[in-house]
Amino acid sequence: MLVNEIDKTKITRDDYLVVQNLKTQFFTSKGIVKAIDSVSFSVKEGEVYGIVGESGCGKSVTATSIMDLVPDPPGRIIGGSIYIDGFDIISDTDKLVKITVKSETDVKIKRNKRLIKRHNYIISRIRGKKIAMIFQEPSLALNPVMTIGDQIIENILLHNMVSISESIIRRETIKDQDLDNFLSEASAIKNHSDLKRYVQRWARDFGMPDIEDSILNVLSSNAAKPFVRKELVELIIPQRKGVNINIFKETKDYHDDLNKLLDLNLKLLNSENKADTAGIARYEQEVKNLERQMRTKYLTFNLKRIILKKTYQRVFQEEARRRAIELLKLVNIAGPERVIDSYPHELSGGMQQRSMIAMALASDPRLLIADEPTTALDVTTQAQILDLIRELNKFTGSSVIFITHDLAVIAEMCNRVAVMYAGNIVEEASVDDIFTNSKHPYTTGLLKSIPRTDINVARNLRMESIPGNVPNLITPPTGCRFNPRCQHKMDVCEKSKPKLVDVGDGHKVACFLYSDLTDGDN
Amino acid sequence: MELRYYIIRRLLLLIPTILGLTVLTFLLMRAFPNYQLVQGYINPHSSIPVSVQMLNAEKALGLNYPPPVQYIYYLKDLFLGNWGQMSTTFYSGPVLRGIEYFFPNTVQLAIFSIILSIIIAIPLGTYIGARPNTAADQAGRVFSLAFYAMPTFWLALILQIILGQDVIYGNPFGIFPIQGSFQPTSINPLHPPSWLINTQLGTVLSSPTHLILIDALIHGDFAVASSAFMSLVLPVVTLTLTLLAGILRFVRAGMVDAASQEYVKTARSKGVPERLVIKRHIRKNALIPTVTVLGLLFASLLGGVVTIEYVFGYPGIGLFGLNAVLQNQIFGVMGTTLIFGLILVMANLIVDVVYALIDPRIRY
Amino acid sequence: MVLRKSMRTPDVVVKKRPRLEDTIYTAKLFFKNRLAFVGFVITMIYFAIAVIDEVYPQWLGVSNLNSMANWVPALSSNVPTAPTLSHGWMYIFGTTQFLVPIFPVMLAALKFDIGYSLLIVTIGALFGLAVGTIAGYFGKIFDEILMRVTDIFFSVPFIVLAFAISYALGRSLNTVIIALIIIWWPIYARLTRGLALSTRSMKYVEAATASGSSGMRNVVVHVIPNVLSPVFVQISLDLGSIVQIFATLYFLSVIQGSQLLPELGNMISRGQTYLPQGIWWPVVIPGIFLLIFTVSINLMGDGLRDVLDPKLRR
Repeated sequence: MLVNEIDKTKITRDDYLVVQNLKTQFFTSKGIVKAIDSVSFSVKEGEVYGIVGESGCGKSVTATSIMDLVPDPPGRIIGGSIYIDGFDIISDTDKLVKITVKSETDVKIKRNKRLIKRHNYIISRIRGKKIAMIFQEPSLALNPVMTIGDQIIENILLHNMVSISESIIRRETIKDQDLDNFLSEASAIKNHSDLKRYVQRWARDFGMPDIEDSILNVLSSNAAKPFVRKELVELIIPQRKGVNINIFKETKDYHDDLNKLLDLNLKLLNSENKADTAGIARYEQEVKNLERQMRTKYLTFNLKRIILKKTYQRVFQEEARRRAIELLKLVNIAGPERVIDSYPHELSGGMQQRSMIAMALASDPRLLIADEPTTALDVTTQAQILDLIRELNKFTGSSVIFITHDLAVIAEMCNRVAVMYAGNIVEEASVDDIFTNSKHPYTTGLLKSIPRTDINVARNLRMESIPGNVPNLITPPTGCRFNPRCQHKMDVCEKSKPKLVDVGDGHKVACFLYSDLTDGDN
Repeated sequence: MELRYYIIRRLLLLIPTILGLTVLTFLLMRAFPNYQLVQGYINPHSSIPVSVQMLNAEKALGLNYPPPVQYIYYLKDLFLGNWGQMSTTFYSGPVLRGIEYFFPNTVQLAIFSIILSIIIAIPLGTYIGARPNTAADQAGRVFSLAFYAMPTFWLALILQIILGQDVIYGNPFGIFPIQGSFQPTSINPLHPPSWLINTQLGTVLSSPTHLILIDALIHGDFAVASSAFMSLVLPVVTLTLTLLAGILRFVRAGMVDAASQEYVKTARSKGVPERLVIKRHIRKNALIPTVTVLGLLFASLLGGVVTIEYVFGYPGIGLFGLNAVLQNQIFGVMGTTLIFGLILVMANLIVDVVYALIDPRIRY
Repeated sequence: MVLRKSMRTPDVVVKKRPRLEDTIYTAKLFFKNRLAFVGFVITMIYFAIAVIDEVYPQWLGVSNLNSMANWVPALSSNVPTAPTLSHGWMYIFGTTQFLVPIFPVMLAALKFDIGYSLLIVTIGALFGLAVGTIAGYFGKIFDEILMRVTDIFFSVPFIVLAFAISYALGRSLNTVIIALIIIWWPIYARLTRGLALSTRSMKYVEAATASGSSGMRNVVVHVIPNVLSPVFVQISLDLGSIVQIFATLYFLSVIQGSQLLPELGNMISRGQTYLPQGIWWPVVIPGIFLLIFTVSINLMGDGLRDVLDPKLRR
């Protein structure tokens, strides 16, 4: 991998995720499986990015590598960078682990514990918070001995402490002024659905979503303003728990500081990756300062947390439970109050997948990775889940990486598509381009193998398939990994590996039919 | 509510097993000729001639009927608490009363070691199971394999050598008595406690619970209580080590297995800190298969009890049964078999109920 | 501790009959596991000693066990002598009762312990295999009866069951062996029944049935080969347990052994009487000798299971 080649200026603000030269390998007793071989791509904010390919082509490994969830042993990310929101989250892999390859089956792996610890700390704050993932088999991906509610609440309590504390504080300290503002703003909204949305947001902000329907009813009644106000006050008063809000203020500060600490650590990591000595010194100092500050500042808070654990946790649990029910409503689960206390095995596959999605959305992630989310479901449920993901993408504005082997699903869901083959991206383009103007022989083959009633029946009665099988990735073919199955194979294909190059309008393809450029690796 | 029905159903399912158990002991008993069976009923000093006594006893036991009827008689006797007579150098009298005397000691050994080994094995197994193939894990595996493969009687002897009182001269660690449930020297010879009955056979019985430790505490005799406690240490440590080794293997295997499941990946993808992933997601699931083998481990524990009671001369049901075997007491042997069977059956019932409680997937 | 291990392998291993290359690969994987390899080597050494003792006992110097007392050197006291290198190799582990040297007796004991254990496990396994396969494959009433009968066997701790059965048959070496076989076959019956049940529903067996293969033929051609490797693993794990039980029964003198009987449990039991005099070696050394065997065979068995279970293969 040629680090110098990476052009960091390419990372623009609206690329939420940038993956560069990612390499993941599995060290098995039969040899090293080169599952991902230098994969680069980027996902823009709000877009649905599809990854498509046959099984075993590295789609899922790409997803798990982004989350740093590659099972270790036997797997390892051995190179490359992953930028999320402009921050490189994978520290220098060479520093984390030293891998000495003596032969295919004899590999020594030496870990640097201290760095791995920091890496795990950073990655665990990013997982769930910034990127969430939903898996192929919801029945296996949900913990069988925890209720759906507990699994969603766990996620909410991990990442949303600041906003939960804020709602609790607002609820407990709601003032006449807030109410007046709300009433005047609400009366300005004439459209009913807008009003509903406004009330919903307000109720959530003030930690009382239970009464949002009642508030709406009161607002839509044609009563006089003072009367409406009185009714509202009567609705709101019983919602207040009368708890000591100081501890919630402290909780909010504490988690704010934790987030700051994470940011500083990320900056420190990036300075290290850039070998920026001034940056390293500066951020190391800042991290130390903040840690020291936090130790003294939260001394009593940590004590109080232990002493008041029960009362304190109950309030958070209640609030998290409300939010969990809201999330279940958001993913169109009927009877969320019942489902929240169910165990995964009591739900149908579709319901399980909806719960998974609710869980993934719990922390408002900016990127959702969906790894074949519909493969294990039956056809009608598949369509519903796809609709749901698309709606949520529009509603929350978060990006989605959608992994599937089904081109029809890609056509329906995605803005841009990457086609993967044997651990490489062979083609990347907008969804229209892929379907109307595919370049790579593999993509073309894939498209031809879709059963289609409209075209194929008319042209020729037989469905085509790509001859041969996905190669063994322990000893992958030299050069272009597709060459043994390719109809347009040339001499160069066996010798060197084609580079993924732009052939116009962001349509990228890695094939010697379109460009002579080779990848630095081979 | 549903759980209650589940327990009732499981209890009903026990009936055929328990009946089968009685068939087994009945068949084993019928391997002996009548005159051997009635031996325990004969009083050579009585004025009634021995032949008449034998006939009476045969009649009482229903031995002159065909076998199926005999079995009914046998069942009836078992049900009425007439488990036969026995006479050994360890205990003489009705079998069921002997069981009543010595059973508590066995239960005491078993409960102490079960609690101890679970308390140690679960955290330890969680720790090493979460770090497969590290040094700690290797050490844990070697430990559990060694104690698992070690014959219980030998372990007991080794502990006697290392920690036993007066085994190796001048051993500073040798502070624990190696024989009996307490030491007679702890009794004040001028005022022997009234709650201790010295049977002629060299066994001391205490009342009301037949557990010397508890009885001494009840009566406030702390000298005897501490002696009873010290006498309990080595047998309990031996049993605990063997049981611990077994549970540790399963907890570790369960942890390793659960750690590779998809839901653990989900938990990590949510950003759950590793500590909580292990505690909340892996361990909770790992304990389910562990519970299913607890019944099995309990069976091996009961097997170990016999050996340990023998090595430490601890007056429990195992020593009772062993003496019955060695001194040819048919009813004593069958009574022991039956009581061990009943304990195991009940233990398995408890295991099943616990299993149903911790695994929500079990439908009652 | 002794445990019925069959139940601890809930994951039933069923795979197509291994081909030669698969077998070689399996062997390679097995020998790559160092602990399993060490276990294998030590187990083989123990087996070899037992076999040599059977065929050429004079090689081990234990040909004439009954005249063991003849070896007693002219020593004044009757107290066992401590391990020493000065009286030749036989005395390196000291002597026990009647000043009998420990080392050659331990070697001779292997034939006894391993031989009988192997006999018990093999007969138990064969019988259990036959019953379990038929019950599992043909099912119905036969299966139901098997399950109930094995339930009863599993409901008594088996040291106690061994007492009871051997007692009912008259306590002697032969009856204890019969008792242990009676106790051991249900383990194999359960194991093979489970395996046969899952093989029966395999697609290739269904295909064979559909193409007219008879039930018995299916059992022989498809079920038994699938059952063999787990049964083999089970045997290797059980051997350790049986040796332990065997020694335990001798130790508890449920089987009456003559004072000089070369059996490890018997040796430990006899050596125990010298413990209060601080004489530890007659107890400790035969025990370690036994422990090395049980640990090794367990290591080997675990290793075998790891490579034969496709789920654990990497």
